[in-house]
Amino acid sequence: MRLHYRLQHPVRLDVSLRLDGFTVLYGQSGSGKTSLLKAIAGLLPAVGTPWNELPAQRRPIGYLPQGCALFPHLRVWQNVAFALDGTRVWRRARALQLLDNLDMATLAERWPSEISGGQQQRVALARALARQPQLLLLDEPTSALDMMAREDVMGELIDGIRRSGVPALAASHDLHLASMADSIALLHAGQVIQQGSPAQVIHRPVSAAAASLLGMRNILKATVLVSENGQSELDCHGWRLHAAATLPAGTRTGVAIPAEAVTLAGNGPDRPMTVTRLRQEGFFTRIWLQGESLPSLEALLPQTSVGKVGDQCWPQVAPAHVHLFTLDASLIPA
Amino acid sequence: MGASKGNIATVAAGIAYLVSRLAPSTMHRPTGWIVLTGTLALAVLMLPFAGLLFATPWLHLHLQAGDGAAIGISVGYTLVALLIVVIFGTPLAWWLARHSFRGKLLVDALVLLPLLAPPLTMGLMLSMVFGPYGWAGEPLRRLGLELTNTPQAFVLAQVYGAVPYFVVTARAAFEGVPQELEHMALTLGRGPWSIFWRITLPLSSLGLASGLALAWVRAMGEFGIVLIVAYFPQGIPVKLWANLQDSGLDATYPLLWLFFVVALPLPLALGLLSRRQPVY
Repeated sequence: MRLHYRLQHPVRLDVSLRLDGFTVLYGQSGSGKTSLLKAIAGLLPAVGTPWNELPAQRRPIGYLPQGCALFPHLRVWQNVAFALDGTRVWRRARALQLLDNLDMATLAERWPSEISGGQQQRVALARALARQPQLLLLDEPTSALDMMAREDVMGELIDGIRRSGVPALAASHDLHLASMADSIALLHAGQVIQQGSPAQVIHRPVSAAAASLLGMRNILKATVLVSENGQSELDCHGWRLHAAATLPAGTRTGVAIPAEAVTLAGNGPDRPMTVTRLRQEGFFTRIWLQGESLPSLEALLPQTSVGKVGDQCWPQVAPAHVHLFTLDASLIPA
Repeated sequence: MGASKGNIATVAAGIAYLVSRLAPSTMHRPTGWIVLTGTLALAVLMLPFAGLLFATPWLHLHLQAGDGAAIGISVGYTLVALLIVVIFGTPLAWWLARHSFRGKLLVDALVLLPLLAPPLTMGLMLSMVFGPYGWAGEPLRRLGLELTNTPQAFVLAQVYGAVPYFVVTARAAFEGVPQELEHMALTLGRGPWSIFWRITLPLSSLGLASGLALAWVRAMGEFGIVLIVAYFPQGIPVKLWANLQDSGLDATYPLLWLFFVVALPLPLALGLLSRRQPVY
């Protein structure tokens, strides 16, 4: 299914994306993800396909807003049965069946305030599925979950969605959730700038904006020196790098390197870099390096391997972690 | 007189004792000065009623002619007025709660105006408009709707007295219902009417109940507007005034007690309802 929506207010968006299975719309907070979902659900004025001609109550959509929005005055089963028409006995039986599909039947008589955040989310999913929608919309499904329960709850939610067979679009800025999706669409400046499988998108950002959105801390420019057998040697502000790609020698290219991929060596062929700043982050230390003409390089290292400010070292990156993208000069810091 | 003062002091002390005993032991105990000032405030509030309790000549109580009819008039027409208040006030309150538009502040002020106008002047304004020679009164009279000294006029006066209280309270109640829940219901395939009945109304019911209680109390006790617009038929407040004028203070006591008996149950029941902790 293809989806194309344009809206002017409260955010300017012109979004076009494919929906394959579980799709994550990945973007920063404030980028308009929630507005887009609301527009698709018919709750915000917009133009687009499909369903634009239908009022909200007739769109074949299952919507799970942030915080679930369960009806507090209805019991769990009544929440699920809200969208159903028919006799009370039939509605109850159907609601229990939907809850049972998500292993939630035992909570049917509870009030929403009496169940956990993860359980509320599954009740909201059962409620959304009751109408047999053609598309599920999930707004920040992981934002309300605490770290302890996150993995389990997220896994159960995604399993539930996959079992239902209904395609889903989840707005999120949780890279971990995005990495579990069938497809990621990157939202930047009101548009989808890249879409593909997690492996494609996370490992091959197409622009500086995409790389930066995916949390790559080092976004730089480089020139291809030599390229052969699927390997290229690059000159990045005087720092020699190897990338797993073939490009004509002399090409100017963008380079994105996650801070986690940088390691430090005690010596090397180039000039060393200097440690300018250190910050403890739990088991890790984040360090900032400066080269002769390289403005700044960020590395996240296990605590044991770190020196102090002023130390000299030779940063290295495995070729698989050197991500090349077409240069988009305006988005790279000078 | 001295005995009477002593009695009042005894009642006040009794109330203070009751208040202190009624506080549930599981709640954290309020500090001494809160109990003291609270009790004092309650005692001051109760003073007129204690006075009434002791001033009433319990052994020689008898109703005045027309007192019974006044009770029927007050209860019956207040119920009618309340119905009108709910029918017209609810959509207005919902509109004010859910929509923003240019000039909304002006509409807010318009709703508050009847609340602000002293009842007597409100009555005068109504008689200017709906009176026999008023610009609305005259054509309505030709259509057979007389709005001076008729049951219709009585209800009209009560509606004007009560509707702003209901609208202000109901509006706050509607505003308290998260709009997200209404949107959610929309995405679940329900239309606006269904959403109002199944989501908005149940979730605002406590606030609406307070609004209803307030409107009932206002309509039931309305004196100033009713006095000008509909001296007849006489509901309890105007009949009390007439009894006082015709026969003196003692003639007001029986009807006053009956007023409390008929007027109190509804707001009390609604108050209990709204104080009951909802399950959710």
